[in-house]
Amino acid sequence: MNIEDAAQLTQTYYCLDCGVCTGSCPVSRVLPSFSPRLIVEKALLGLGDELLKDQELWSCLTCSRCYERCPSSINFPEFMRLLREEASKRGTQPVYSHHGMLQTIMELQTQGINQKKTEWAREAGQVAESGDTFFFVGCMPYFQVIFRDIGVDSLSVSKNVIKILNGAGIKPVVSDEEHCCGHDMLWNGQVEIFKKLAFHNLEVIRKSGAKRVVFNCPEGYYTFKKHYPEHFGELGFEVVHVYDLVAQMLADDVLKVENGAGPLTFHDPCRLGRMAKIYDGPREILNKLAKDQFKEMERNRENAVCCGTSGWANCGTGSKQIQMERLAEAKATGAQTLITACPKCQIHLNCALNNMDIDLQIKDLTSVLAEAIK
Amino acid sequence: MLDAGRHPKINLLSYCEVEEVSGEVGAFQVKVRKKARYVNEDLCTGCGACVEKCPTTVKDTYNEGLGERTAIYKYFPQGIPSTHCIDAENCRQLGQGKKCGICAKVCQANAIDFEQQDQMLDLEVGAVVLATGYDVFDPSVIPEYAYDRIDNVVTAMEFERLLSASGPTHGHLDRPSELALRAEVAVLEKDLNKVSRQIDRLEEKHGKKTAEFLKEFEAGKAGEDEDFERWATLAEKQTAAEKVLAPLKKREAAAQTAKNLAFIQCVGSRDFRFNRFCSSYCCMHSVKEAMIAHEHDNQTTSSIFCMDLRAVGRGFEEYKLRGGKSSNIKYVRGRVAEITEDEAHNPIVWYESTTSRQVDHETFDLVILATACVPSAGTPKLADLMGVELDQNGFFKTDPFAPLDTTRPGIFVCGCAQGPMDIPESVAQASSAAARAAEVVATVPKAAAGGGE
Repeated sequence: MNIEDAAQLTQTYYCLDCGVCTGSCPVSRVLPSFSPRLIVEKALLGLGDELLKDQELWSCLTCSRCYERCPSSINFPEFMRLLREEASKRGTQPVYSHHGMLQTIMELQTQGINQKKTEWAREAGQVAESGDTFFFVGCMPYFQVIFRDIGVDSLSVSKNVIKILNGAGIKPVVSDEEHCCGHDMLWNGQVEIFKKLAFHNLEVIRKSGAKRVVFNCPEGYYTFKKHYPEHFGELGFEVVHVYDLVAQMLADDVLKVENGAGPLTFHDPCRLGRMAKIYDGPREILNKLAKDQFKEMERNRENAVCCGTSGWANCGTGSKQIQMERLAEAKATGAQTLITACPKCQIHLNCALNNMDIDLQIKDLTSVLAEAIK
Repeated sequence: MLDAGRHPKINLLSYCEVEEVSGEVGAFQVKVRKKARYVNEDLCTGCGACVEKCPTTVKDTYNEGLGERTAIYKYFPQGIPSTHCIDAENCRQLGQGKKCGICAKVCQANAIDFEQQDQMLDLEVGAVVLATGYDVFDPSVIPEYAYDRIDNVVTAMEFERLLSASGPTHGHLDRPSELALRAEVAVLEKDLNKVSRQIDRLEEKHGKKTAEFLKEFEAGKAGEDEDFERWATLAEKQTAAEKVLAPLKKREAAAQTAKNLAFIQCVGSRDFRFNRFCSSYCCMHSVKEAMIAHEHDNQTTSSIFCMDLRAVGRGFEEYKLRGGKSSNIKYVRGRVAEITEDEAHNPIVWYESTTSRQVDHETFDLVILATACVPSAGTPKLADLMGVELDQNGFFKTDPFAPLDTTRPGIFVCGCAQGPMDIPESVAQASSAAARAAEVVATVPKAAAGGGE
């Protein structure tokens, strides 16, 4: 898709040049040269080719803080995604973090490799080969290996999901055949790889006979909910976030939790919050786990700030600054624990925390929940 | 307004609601419910003795909830007809079944009538003019402006009341956070005074000071008296209350009026999420408010954040420039991205100045949101009753070449019921609509004599 088409699709010509996007952008506050408003302006002035070569194309966090507030409802993150798609078509070198290792892992999965990614699941609880509920594990087994050195136990989240589902009498299907959901590839502009991954996942899930697919990763959830139907039409199964299930289970008294965690605060992941509009579910759970001990950060819900980097693209000093400010904001609430609901937020914020001298721990909501189950 | 009230050919029916409209142009039959005021308006002289004595206070909606009014009240001082009304829901006698009737006792005109009922009026009219005005957009739906979380972020209408000599602060720019503090102190002081009075009586009865008594009491030498336990508890309460009050009073004494103001334009207007239209009057309104604030206290400085300051009208541009030159107004090009708050309840405004291309933030004493002009809440219901259509924005639909004609012959509209406009334009439309209505009444022979619009 060329730049004119991208501008048409995201209606950037409605831009009022008002500066709300740049004023809201967490990146613009730490890297003043980056300005969503000026990017849109450049595109409208026909300077798109310049944009495609610019490193700034990879500075956008696609966190949607700008789109949430844009008075002209211009979907800037989507515009950036489309530009990246065009850039990758033209062979522009992308800016990846971790030397592109994670992108390599994703791409490898389209080459027919045999994964042994669910062995741990059988130890964690009861899982099945086929059934009504499919648990889409996502990248956690890979993250476990890559990020354990910074003290993040990604896999414990997946294990806890299985425990919670088992607790409600659900024996979920997990599959070694499952591939990466393609979220990062899509946002990196590698739409062909995304399609291959997605097509494969749909086949695996349909073969399992599942009527619903449960996610804990907000990226997987949002990608299945929004982008899979866009590319492949009707999915034929329900896409469910585990927090919705849990909230229902708590309401029905199927799940009983102890109220004693805290003091804690909550970081809204952008895919879960601004994109999937899930704000209340996690808060309902947190209020059950830590009544009166759950404190909101100054910037919460729609106003929440990104964890500093996304799609394993561009992670620089600006990202670190965003993360450190966010952690300081969390600490200012008086919380001992910062709860996140996205495995990547947990990794990114932990990475910054390791270099800071503040007394705070970061936990995934699923893990706190699992600890509190009676 | 007074002219209309005194006009021999204008029959003013206030505090009424239209319930049914039938017929056609030249001969409409309108059923109107005249709501019970519980005050006989023919007898009431508007002296206000009842208001002085009424024991019930509630939030004053005319002052945007920033002040209080009594259960018997007059909506605003210049209201026509100059009479009072009892808010039945909050009245002790009417709404809460208690014995009160103080207003009836003090009313020298005997105008209070607790037995008054709603009355149905049948009117025969030739034409109808809809002049139902507008509502102020509720900015609490904009999460980034934190209107519902930050005390010192107010709407333009709230600011208008703060700045008004007849408003809750008599025109001084006391900040809402300070008003809340003052209210808190007042409640605590009332409780403390009650305790202190009881202690005073005990001191008098026993002929010694509390300090002296406590010393004896703690040493066990006070002797036996039924009052002593209570006295000790009261003394303890007094000390605790004074301890809570002291820092609050210190803060209250240090409080300053707002001197550094930010006006944020297009709040709920020119925004696809809420209203796509421009509310047209807010730019000039903000300039006017900033100028009046500066007149009231010439230490005041104001920043007006806007995309483009729409000074469209005769002398408007000059007025805007004068504000910049002589009233300490700074115009910033950039729509505000978000508002946060510091520990002293000062709002912090985050924005990109698009002229300098820099993201910046600035702390203000008070932030005023230039809120959009939206159709009043009852508009859809009234449109249904009248059998007229609404436009895409929810205002009464008119034709560009007949801007006062609704979609039903004989029913006209003027002012903000038709769309956002400022006062001169509303006045012009009102005269115009009256003339359109007169055309109908004059040319249709069936038109009922004596009917009024």
